[in-house]
Amino acid sequence: MTFIASRLARTLFLAWLVATIVFLVLHLVPGDPAELLLSTGGAMPDPTAVAELRVRLGLDRPILAQYRDFVAGLMRLDLGRSLVDDYSVAGEIALRLPRTLELIFAATTLALVIGVPAGVYAAVHRGGRFDRVMSAVTAVLLAVPVFVLGTLLILVFAQMLRLTPAGGFVPFGRNPGQHLALLALPAIAIGKGLAAIVFRMMRASVLDTLSADHVRTARAKGLSNARILAHHVVRNAFTPVLTVLGLHMGALLGGTVLVEYVFNWPGLSTPLIRAVEGRDYPMVVGIVLTISGLFLLINMIVELLYGVLDPRVRAR
Amino acid sequence: MRLPPARVAIPATLIALLVIAALAAPLLGLPDPVRQNVVRRLAPPTADAWLGRDEFGRDVLSRLIWGARTSLFVAVSATAIAAIVGTLLGLIGGWFRGVAELFTVRVADVVLCFPPILLALLVVTVLGPGGGTLILMLSILYTPGFTRVAYGEILSARSMDYVEAVRALGATTPRILARTILPNIAGPLLVQFSLTLAAAIVIESGLSFLGLGTVPPTPSWGLMIRGARATMDQAPLLLLWPCLVLTATILAINLLCDALRDLVDPRSASASALHGLGARLLPGLVTAGQGPTGLAVRDLRVAIETPNGPIEPVSAVSFDVAPGETLAIVGESGSGKSLTATALLGLLPRTASAAGAAVFDGRDLLTLDDAAMRALRGNRIAMIFQDPMSSLNPVHAVGTQVAEASRAHRTLSKPAARAEALALFRRVGIADPERRLDAYPHEFSGGMRQRVMIAIAVANRPALLIADEPTTALDVTIQAQILDLLADLRRETGMSLIFITHNLGIVAEIADRVVVMYAGHVVEQGGVAEVFAAPLHPYTQALLAAVPAEDANPVPIQGTVPPPSRFPDGCRFHPRCSRATAACKEPQALREITPGRLVACIHVAPAREAVS
Repeated sequence: MTFIASRLARTLFLAWLVATIVFLVLHLVPGDPAELLLSTGGAMPDPTAVAELRVRLGLDRPILAQYRDFVAGLMRLDLGRSLVDDYSVAGEIALRLPRTLELIFAATTLALVIGVPAGVYAAVHRGGRFDRVMSAVTAVLLAVPVFVLGTLLILVFAQMLRLTPAGGFVPFGRNPGQHLALLALPAIAIGKGLAAIVFRMMRASVLDTLSADHVRTARAKGLSNARILAHHVVRNAFTPVLTVLGLHMGALLGGTVLVEYVFNWPGLSTPLIRAVEGRDYPMVVGIVLTISGLFLLINMIVELLYGVLDPRVRAR
Repeated sequence: MRLPPARVAIPATLIALLVIAALAAPLLGLPDPVRQNVVRRLAPPTADAWLGRDEFGRDVLSRLIWGARTSLFVAVSATAIAAIVGTLLGLIGGWFRGVAELFTVRVADVVLCFPPILLALLVVTVLGPGGGTLILMLSILYTPGFTRVAYGEILSARSMDYVEAVRALGATTPRILARTILPNIAGPLLVQFSLTLAAAIVIESGLSFLGLGTVPPTPSWGLMIRGARATMDQAPLLLLWPCLVLTATILAINLLCDALRDLVDPRSASASALHGLGARLLPGLVTAGQGPTGLAVRDLRVAIETPNGPIEPVSAVSFDVAPGETLAIVGESGSGKSLTATALLGLLPRTASAAGAAVFDGRDLLTLDDAAMRALRGNRIAMIFQDPMSSLNPVHAVGTQVAEASRAHRTLSKPAARAEALALFRRVGIADPERRLDAYPHEFSGGMRQRVMIAIAVANRPALLIADEPTTALDVTIQAQILDLLADLRRETGMSLIFITHNLGIVAEIADRVVVMYAGHVVEQGGVAEVFAAPLHPYTQALLAAVPAEDANPVPIQGTVPPPSRFPDGCRFHPRCSRATAACKEPQALREITPGRLVACIHVAPAREAVS
């Protein structure tokens, strides 16, 4: 219980730091956001319009008061309204976050389902054909940028083979089959890097564990190879994989932003990119904070999972 | 450190070609990469445009090469800025600690809490897209990485002897940082540099692809992919070229980075991993017996493949262990004791192989197949190891690990196995056994863990128990308790015990007979009382002289056991022996001096020894 509470406190503290940094970046960078927002094509904006916008954004108030309001808003989950279309930022996020979460979940599951068994197999048959082929495959998977892979997947599967639609979204309730078909390619594009990293880490970690003293004990007991692998190697070897899973989440979330755009998946990325183009500050801040929060949350879950996997962590 | 040249040469050549092409772009006589020719939009490859033309009729090859210039310029500038600033921050934080650390390293940690692309988008929102924004943003993004690497390296470097030495000479801080520490942490920084370079190229192209990075019409790979996407149904090749060049660039940098890392960090290189494995194995293993349930080892040899050729750390080892007998195998580290034992149980690593014979229950252990060997292990022959800390699986309750041993060899329900484990815990003297069954190894002391290991080993009432330095990791009082427990168990069950140790005091306490090993050879064998009363081999004498005794000061043995690759000819002890003569360089046989008393030394005269 203390373990969970301490992780939770740490995550909340980091979330506060992240929110503060976002606030500082927007307010301490030279230049007036209101002026920037209204200046299109290099022409000097109308000073009265700038002044009005400053009042509307609260930029005329002391910086500490602005910060207080910002934090208070966050606690009420009130992220303000879009400057462009006046939508509620929180409402927009609530609508789209589940779709982004679905992609992340599908990509992570895919990476684990492929990476873990393949890594174990390659480690057990170290130096074999599968091992050597996979070492080249993962090198390529790690090198190809997500948006490149996504685009190429569309080219091959949608354009040339006509197996799947080029992208888009159908709610699961309306047509489950179509929904999953549209989910497949983006999930592959996002999960490819993680799958490669999980594979490599699992392989290295299983090799490490195989030479551990406690595995020698297990062999000295006369256990079967299958039992040693299942009971004494894979579970112990999984902890470092969990670590890289957490570390790689940042890249995975970044990849999701790009892949949603490539496949027209209506998650958080569409409004984010539109908001960055249109300098829609409240929307950018809301979505950046949501995804960063997601990153911190996933890392907290990863740390809690250590405790499940390794009883030694719980004691700390 | 030898590396396959191709591993470095191929990616390095690719990168060099790309850099040269990018630098020489203005000199190559390429068509203007931004000049449009709408009439010939999406034209296929021709003599004047080798890779065809894009959606505005611009030359694709020219745009690829000029795009390399854009990508590399942005990535190299940003990485260089991040490297310089980040390294300085890390050095300052790591050297001065305290407040400096808070403002450098901790701030870097917070920046790392953002997914990189989000921080990038945040900066683009504030500053607007463009080359300057890209460089600034990527520098901010990657500075913390360098700070962390430099900080980590300096923390370990500042405590090292060479830094301490320069400090003691009175060198100033900037001088130490620049002259002593920086060159020593340059390797990891170089690796970080190439990793960052690849990541920066990916983010630059990704943002340009989203239309938030490089501003058109400046050629950029990301923009080219963005443009070609719209026309992929008419001209799929246009999409392929930039994708291919971008991926190949990242791949080349990654491969070079892997090679660099192996150079910089020899720990991760396969060759040295093998070396380390070999070194770990040399403190050896043991077995014994004869007759129906004893063990007879004859001419046992263990060979290990190493990157520098095969070595033979155990040669021509022969001994017997009678039923119910305790045999001690004694020698310094590197004498081959533990390897001998490991070989008997078939637990040698895959790079090692055993030859000779080890007859147990009328079967040669060295020729048994995996299944037959597994049926014996933990059943008729059990083993306990030196380090009870690492020999138990940290993620399972100890009770499960004991029950597992019983269930591996007998059909036993889980409750029955648990009841048996409980009885075993009582037998090996674990207090409060009902509660302790569900505890994890880290909740036990070293002595208690070794008791758990013993419970596992005796779960199936083995005929032979091999104990490899079972008390070395424990303090003296616990040592005595464990020895008593092993002696009691042996008396109760009538099992044979092979006890491997470098501690002669323990030998006197527990063993009936003793085998003395040196550098993979048996040099002396006999009853404990006789050997201790009158050691024959100079090595045994030296070992005994090195033990502190009431009436004499210990005399340490000069020198160390040579590594197996440099075992001397003849008697392997002769370079360290005060009685060595030219004849000692000839091979020595183990000769029986009196019944049951064997020695391999030409200076021991059998007849006279026997008469006196």
